[in-house]
Amino acid sequence: MAFSATTTIDANIAKITVSGELDGSMAPVFQKEVEKAASQKVKRLVLLMSDLDYISSAGLRVLVFAKQKMGAGVDLFVVGAQPQVKDTLQMTGFDRSIIALDTYDAATIENI
Amino acid sequence: MNPVTVPATLDSLGAIADYVMAAAASAGLDRRASYNLRLAVDEIVTNIIVHGYADAGLQGTLELSANIDDSTLTVSIEDSGVPYDPRQAPVPDTSLPLEERPIGGLGVYLALKSVDEFLYERVGARNRSIFKMQLPSAPVKEEGRA
Repeated sequence: MAFSATTTIDANIAKITVSGELDGSMAPVFQKEVEKAASQKVKRLVLLMSDLDYISSAGLRVLVFAKQKMGAGVDLFVVGAQPQVKDTLQMTGFDRSIIALDTYDAATIENI
Repeated sequence: MNPVTVPATLDSLGAIADYVMAAAASAGLDRRASYNLRLAVDEIVTNIIVHGYADAGLQGTLELSANIDDSTLTVSIEDSGVPYDPRQAPVPDTSLPLEERPIGGLGVYLALKSVDEFLYERVGARNRSIFKMQLPSAPVKEEGRA
């Protein structure tokens, strides 16, 4: 399934909804959306991942880019990741640097 | 499955994934094993395409084949890019926070961890990357009740 990423920015929070398969050919599409969010100097980056069926290291690299571009002070939320995607985040130690939530929790995410 | 040859470009990743998932389905791998095999192949071929061909100014193709025997699904990828044995790659430090991570190095690590066995051979002027997954054991027959 093709990859897509759409961004909404509101009240210092950027939300990127990603869906489909994120491999090395699609990572630039994702990176463009992350750059959009980074340029708005948001305080939170929220990745809505429930429709993301696949992520490779090319997608993980964009998460590293996001954290480095936006700064350690910007919290990175991953919401609704599928089991295999979660496995990959754990195997690479990314789960230590992101806040993983099963569902969108406004109280946690929007409490800036 | 019949071998296929695809251009060694990132645009081929979708077709390569389709081939691997079809092989996994024929072999009866479950969802997780299929995903892991696809991830491993995707990571290694991406590496070959980017570093083995593009960075070296080379162009070429990748030849994919899949073979199923009683116990194992074997997927092989042959390329004519720069010689490279992924097993020699340094292991990344996965304990570092993301803001301190170097860019790259995770793909090969994930690939090698995601399959039951990974082999690399240099055959003449070609690289051969071999991925093996154990097949789920045949279902145990239930004992008939007396």
